[in-house]
Amino acid sequence: MTEFILPVFVLAIIAAGFFKRVNVYDSFVSGAQESLRLIASIFPYICAVLIATELFSASGLAAVMTDALAPLFKLTGVPEQLCELVIIRPLSGNGSLAVLEKLIAEYGADSYIARCGCVIVGASETVFYVCTVYVSTTKVRKLRYALPVSLFSCLVGAVVSCLLCTFI
Amino acid sequence: MFCAPLVRARNICAAAAIQYRMNSVFFVMVAASLAMCIFSSPSAAFPAMIDGASGAITLSLKLCAIYAIWLSVLDIMHKLKCDRALQKLFSPVTKKLFKGEDEETRGLIALNFSANLLGMGGAATPLGIRAMERMQDGTDRATDNMILFLVVNATSIQLIPATVIGLRSAAGSLASSDIILPSLLATIVSTAVGIALAKVLALPSDRGSKKRLPLAEKGVKFD
Repeated sequence: MTEFILPVFVLAIIAAGFFKRVNVYDSFVSGAQESLRLIASIFPYICAVLIATELFSASGLAAVMTDALAPLFKLTGVPEQLCELVIIRPLSGNGSLAVLEKLIAEYGADSYIARCGCVIVGASETVFYVCTVYVSTTKVRKLRYALPVSLFSCLVGAVVSCLLCTFI
Repeated sequence: MFCAPLVRARNICAAAAIQYRMNSVFFVMVAASLAMCIFSSPSAAFPAMIDGASGAITLSLKLCAIYAIWLSVLDIMHKLKCDRALQKLFSPVTKKLFKGEDEETRGLIALNFSANLLGMGGAATPLGIRAMERMQDGTDRATDNMILFLVVNATSIQLIPATVIGLRSAAGSLASSDIILPSLLATIVSTAVGIALAKVLALPSDRGSKKRLPLAEKGVKFD
């Protein structure tokens, strides 16, 4: 079902544009041009964030934190097998997908752990990336309470995910 | 009345050093990781940093391609005045949540939310960036509306997590889409918690959002 949404949506917009005499070709040319400009301004921020997160996991600090936080997570009802996923999820989109694939391969796609993992990833975002990229073209450098609130809410989401998977 | 504990909680949170910069977050992460590397595997440090940077290059190229398509489609939508329709549809929500923002900003917010709901991240990001640019007040501190917008985006409001469902069915799941309902419920809870916390932490003086700039110029202090 979902695979139809995108092509149908784009076709509808392009067709509506064409028949309402919007220059569709010009729109695509200017869209591509604007995309280059946008990437040029957000690339430095993506680069900084990825260097930090890559170092974080490659140095083994992520693993140490996972071990240290595992008892805390147990208290909230998140199984310890999902600890690594919950910690890596806000930091790295690709990283969390890799961890999720590992969990699916290890426990089976329809196991409780794999289902929980899928819900955790499906119901959250790469918080650090979003916070960095969205402010990248503004003057803002002080995010105040944005990160703690986002991270805490995502943690609540993860706890709720694990709870929901036990009976849905 | 029952507002008092909320106000107290907010003051405690505000006191708990919430005025950090991205600079310190970045520094702590990188410095701690590098220190860890020095103790465990010094040779892994530099390759990891290069991996991060080259990951950023591949990701940016991919994003550039995705944005090229979405910005084009969005341009057509803008010329068709589709964004107006969406803005009107979301207007009851955006007016309540983002007080003090003008119609065009709320239109961008509405478009960003709809793109996010439908899982079109490639369209949501450029729209979100534009909305953030319009919401800033000229200082280096994020306004309450900007933070609220960030929180909603960072807690995900996607209706159908297509990537994850794809992963599951590729792994031979018998009911790959049975995670849709729990994901939706979990994302509603996390977004609601985020909005509630952001509203509680918003400074009372910021509630009028754009009013802060002139007052700050007069030298009025808020902290």
